[in-house]
Amino acid sequence: MPNRARLILCVDDEVVGLQVRKILLERAGYQVLTALDGRSGLEVFANEPIQAVILDYSMPGMNGGEVANRMRQTKPEIPILLLSANIALPAEITAMVDLYMTKGEGAPVLLRNLDSLLPASISLYP
Amino acid sequence: MNPAQFDKILRQVLTLPILVLLAAAGALLLAIQSTNTTVRQIQQADASITQAMLVEKLIVDEESGLRGFQTTGDPRFLQPYQESQAALDQQLSRLGSLLADFPADHHDLESLHSAQEAWRVGFAIPVIATVQAGGDASDIPLNLLGKVRIDAIRAAIDTIIRDSESRRASRIAYWSRQVHATFIALLVFSVVTGLLIGLFMRKRLHEVSQSYTRAQAVLRTRADQLFASEQSLRTTLSSICDGVIATDTEGHVGMMNEVSQQLTGWSQEDAHGLPIETVFRLLNRNTRQPVEDPATTVQRLNCVVHQSQDVLLLNRDGSERLIDNNASPIRNQSGDMTGVVTVFRDITTERQTQAALLANEKLAATGRLAATIAHEIHNPLDAVANLLFLMESGSTPEETHQFLGMAQQELTRVTQISRAMLGLYREASAPVSIEIHEMLASLLLLMQGRFNLLHVHVTEDVSPGLHIEGFPAELRQVFTNLISNAAEAATGQEKACVHLSAQPQPAEPLPDGHLQEEGVIITVADNGCGIPTHQLDQLFRPFFTTKGENGTGLGLWVSQGIIRKHGGTIDIQSSTAEQTHGTRVSVFLATKPHIHLGGD
Repeated sequence: MPNRARLILCVDDEVVGLQVRKILLERAGYQVLTALDGRSGLEVFANEPIQAVILDYSMPGMNGGEVANRMRQTKPEIPILLLSANIALPAEITAMVDLYMTKGEGAPVLLRNLDSLLPASISLYP
Repeated sequence: MNPAQFDKILRQVLTLPILVLLAAAGALLLAIQSTNTTVRQIQQADASITQAMLVEKLIVDEESGLRGFQTTGDPRFLQPYQESQAALDQQLSRLGSLLADFPADHHDLESLHSAQEAWRVGFAIPVIATVQAGGDASDIPLNLLGKVRIDAIRAAIDTIIRDSESRRASRIAYWSRQVHATFIALLVFSVVTGLLIGLFMRKRLHEVSQSYTRAQAVLRTRADQLFASEQSLRTTLSSICDGVIATDTEGHVGMMNEVSQQLTGWSQEDAHGLPIETVFRLLNRNTRQPVEDPATTVQRLNCVVHQSQDVLLLNRDGSERLIDNNASPIRNQSGDMTGVVTVFRDITTERQTQAALLANEKLAATGRLAATIAHEIHNPLDAVANLLFLMESGSTPEETHQFLGMAQQELTRVTQISRAMLGLYREASAPVSIEIHEMLASLLLLMQGRFNLLHVHVTEDVSPGLHIEGFPAELRQVFTNLISNAAEAATGQEKACVHLSAQPQPAEPLPDGHLQEEGVIITVADNGCGIPTHQLDQLFRPFFTTKGENGTGLGLWVSQGIIRKHGGTIDIQSSTAEQTHGTRVSVFLATKPHIHLGGD
């Protein structure tokens, strides 16, 4: 169902973590584009019909909060899920995104959360 | 009124009467001189009268002698005539000189002279000649002529005497007026000048009196202020939390305030006059040896003395308190030492609090480190968990192989971090050799995530092979603190960067004669906005922070304690200038340090 598959943008500076997340999401039926830093992530976000974003917080150059802020300014309707290894992010950062979760909560939680952000979603995993 | 004004008034009060009296004396002298002139003129008139009378007497004698001769014919009767005749010219010329100033009298004198000459030539000489010739000289017309001539002489003399007397009378009247006028003038002058001097003195004395009253009021106020100030000083001394003991130059106790009495256990009465070392007994906390009391040291060295390291004060009851003390010479106005004041405070509780704070900062540092480590471990663990999930939900053998490889890679990262952490927390009981590059590199590895978060570019220029001896965990704590301070300061700058460097410091003699130890200088520099000058000397104080709620204010304080324990030094230079802003922290660590175990 390539046409119906939702296009997700994953931004993270962790090369292996990003690669694994892409495989995981593709298995779950999503189409996945990746970026290793905020700047290239914003470029992809501007040029592709992205439907949801999974964003890391700690990245070199521009952190997840700034990236989310810029995305909100251009396409405020696109849901953003902030994913971070940081246990406690400041409230003004987490308030800017639709959902905030910490790394290590597990793949099912991530998939469920992403699913909840997309309207009329179809998931291959229960 | 100042002394110059007072002197001026004194001079005025003294000189004015003198000047007035001098003027009065001058005027009086002139008046007396003028009166004297008048008196001289009166005397001159008297002399003229007397002289005229003398001339009259001579003429009478002359005539009497002539008459006797005329009657008797005896030449002996002619003697008075001849004597008078002989004296008369001289006396007449004397009279002439006395009357020289009066032309009218001159005329009279000439009349007298010619009358006398007429009498002598026209009467006396013919009579004498007649009698000597034996003739009769009682001829009536001749004698009548003689009488007429004598009457003319008398009239001339009378005129002269009358004129002189009238002159004398007018001069006496003039003299009397002069004396009277002088008296009146003196009287008026005395009254007027007396009044003027009186008024002048009254004004000046009034000023002096007012000034005196004011001075008295000022003195009274000063005395009141002095009393109040002394009272305030006493109250202050007894109220301050520090102990204060004053001693004389012999080292005998004088004044002791409340706190010093409590801390030493000696009352002011008991301690007064005793040698300071009896009352203020000090011990070294570590060696238990007596410490020279600071007052004696001040006496010896003649300068301010400060003792703060491990000094115990022995109370009279045997209890001990850790104290910090200062002693300063008391000097009089000419700079000579008149005694010593010792100020000390009980720092037992402060030291306990410092220890607690130190523990607290260690705890906070541990917490921050734990958060950093959790962050670093979370990333690979998340990837591993996701890989396990993928394998669990079914994957081809190739995929499984790929996933296992990736999981292996991520777990290796976790192991690296965990090793670094172990190194961080394994504390040695004695100083060990530390390789600077290795220590800093492992710190940077752990902190990389934080640098990313702060968008700070960290560079290092630390050559391998630099060794020092010390406690690794503590030094890691110091450099973690310094590097994260630098990163936090730099963040927000356009090209935020932190640079680490280390250079060997060779042993060399210093200009002050000491020997610079061999060691390493480690520098952490950032390009943050810099620290204002007024904050620089507060940086090492506990609870001072420039980070608001994000800092405990203990990091640098603890770091300094650790560096000092290692016998090293820490120095901060900072600039807030637009072109050169940034902060540079230099830490010197000796290669073979003398570790101060009591340091923290």
